[in-house]
Amino acid sequence: MDPSIGAAASAAIESAINRALRYDPASRARLQKLAGKVLGVELTAPRGTWYCVFSDGEQVVTVHNHWEGAVTTRLTGSATALLRLLREDGATAPKLGISVMGSTALLAELQAALGDLDIDWEEALAESLGDVPAHTIGQALRSAGAWLGGIASRGPRHMAEAATEEWRVSPPRAQFEAFVDDLADTSLALDRLAARVELLRSKMAARRDG
Amino acid sequence: MTDPRKTHFGFEQVPVGEKASRVAGVFHSVAAKYDLMNDLMSGGIHRLWKRFTIEMSAARPGQRILDIAGGTGDLTAKFSRIVGAEGQVILADINDSMLRVGRDKLLDHGIAGNVHTVQADAQYLPFPDNHFDCITIAFGLRNVTDKDLALRSMYRVLKPGGRLLVLEFSKPESSLLGKVYDEYSFRILPHMGQLIAGDADSYRYLAESIRMHPDQETLKGMMEDAGFSGCEYHNMTGGIVALHKGIKP
Ligand SMILES: C[S@@+](CC[C@H](N)C(=O)[O-])C[C@H]1O[C@@H](n2cnc3c(N)ncnc32)[C@H](O)[C@@H]1O
Repeated sequence: MDPSIGAAASAAIESAINRALRYDPASRARLQKLAGKVLGVELTAPRGTWYCVFSDGEQVVTVHNHWEGAVTTRLTGSATALLRLLREDGATAPKLGISVMGSTALLAELQAALGDLDIDWEEALAESLGDVPAHTIGQALRSAGAWLGGIASRGPRHMAEAATEEWRVSPPRAQFEAFVDDLADTSLALDRLAARVELLRSKMAARRDG
Repeated sequence: MTDPRKTHFGFEQVPVGEKASRVAGVFHSVAAKYDLMNDLMSGGIHRLWKRFTIEMSAARPGQRILDIAGGTGDLTAKFSRIVGAEGQVILADINDSMLRVGRDKLLDHGIAGNVHTVQADAQYLPFPDNHFDCITIAFGLRNVTDKDLALRSMYRVLKPGGRLLVLEFSKPESSLLGKVYDEYSFRILPHMGQLIAGDADSYRYLAESIRMHPDQETLKGMMEDAGFSGCEYHNMTGGIVALHKGIKP
C-alpha cells in the first residue's frame, strides 16, 4: 500500500478515536492505563498494517504505519472481522477467524474500554480507505477548483483562513495513483481548472482595479 | 576569482556561486504564504508525507534531532512533542524569513523550551561531530547547491547509529502519472502561485527544481557515497515523493 494512503488511514482512525474520547472521560481513563502498550493490527482485506500506541499524554492513542519498538499484541484478520470483535458482545477472535499473537490481556482490556465508546468506525474507515479508488483526479481537481472558486469569491483574507481550516479538519483523499486510469478525464479537468484559475485571476484583478 | 562552473537553478544555468542567493530570493518571497501554498498545491497530502517521515524516524523521548532546511517547522513541531522535555530539536534553515515564520508558528502552537532555531547552511553545519540521533531534511535538498557536500556534512554531525531521512520530490513510477503531474506542476502550479502568493516565478522555479532533482536510485547512491549504510527509500503517492533513509554505521 502506498504510504500516503496508509498515513491517511491512520490519521483518520487516530482522530476518530481521540475525538470520541474527548467526550468520554471514563473510557479515556481506562485507555490511559494501557500507556506503553502497543497493539499491532494486520489487515488482510484491505491490506495494511497499523500500530496503535497507547499513552497517558494528551493524545491517548496514536496510530502508526511503521513501528520499530516492541508490540504487545498483534492481531491479523479482515477489517470487518476486527470491527465485529471490537463492538459485538461475546465476539471472540477465534470465532471471527482473527489470529492473536502476544498478550491476550491487552485485547480483553481494549474490548472492555472501546466497547462502550461511541466511535463511528465505518465512517472513519470509509473516509480514509473505502472510496479512494473510486475517486478520479478529475473529481479532485474539479472539486478543488470549485472550492477555490468558492472561497476566492469571498476575498483573499477569508481564503487563507478557510484553507487552513478546511485542510486541517478533513483528511485529504486525493490520491494521484488511483487517478491514472482516467487520463482523458484528467486533462479535461485540468483544462477546466486552468480556465477557472484564469477566470478567478481576472475577476480578482478586476475587483482590485475597480 | 570567480568560479567558472555552472549549476542549475530550475531549468536555468547559473554560476555555482549564484545559486544560493537565487534560492534565497525564492524563499524570502514565498515565506509568508508558504504553508498555505503547501496545502493548496498538494491538496493537503504533504501532511501525510510528513506524517510518514516522522514514523520512519522512530524518534523517542530524550533524543536530539536536527530538522535542517526546516523552513516553517512542520516536522520540528511534531518532533518537539515526541522528544519531550529531556530531548532537543534544532530547527535550522539558511533563510531567516522562513525561520521567522517558523518560530512564530511554533510559539503560536505553544511549542517552546525544547526547540532552538539556528540559521545554518546544510553544506556547512555548525554542530559538533556525532551530535544528533536523527536528521531530517524535507523538501530542502533539491535547493542545496552541492548536495554531496550537504550529505557529508549531515553524516559528520550524526551519531553512529543515527539516521538521516530525506523527504523530497522524486520520479513518478508510472509515465502516465508523470504526465499528469507535469501538466499540473507546469500549468496549474505557477497559476496558483500567482493567484495566492502573487508570485508565479517562484512556483515555476519549484516545479523546475523538482525535475532537476536526482531520481530515487541516484539519490540512494549519493547517500551511500557519503558513507551511509542500509540506504533504502519508500515511494509515496506513486513516486511523486520519496522518503530516503540511511544510517551512519
Ligand atoms: C520547500 S522549503 C521546505 C520547508 C520545510 N522543511 C517543509 O517541508 O515544509 C525548502 C527550505 O530549504 C531551505 N534551504 C535552501 N537551501 C538551503 C541550504 N543550503 N541550507 C539550509 N536550508 C536551505 C529554504 O530556505 C527553505 O526554507
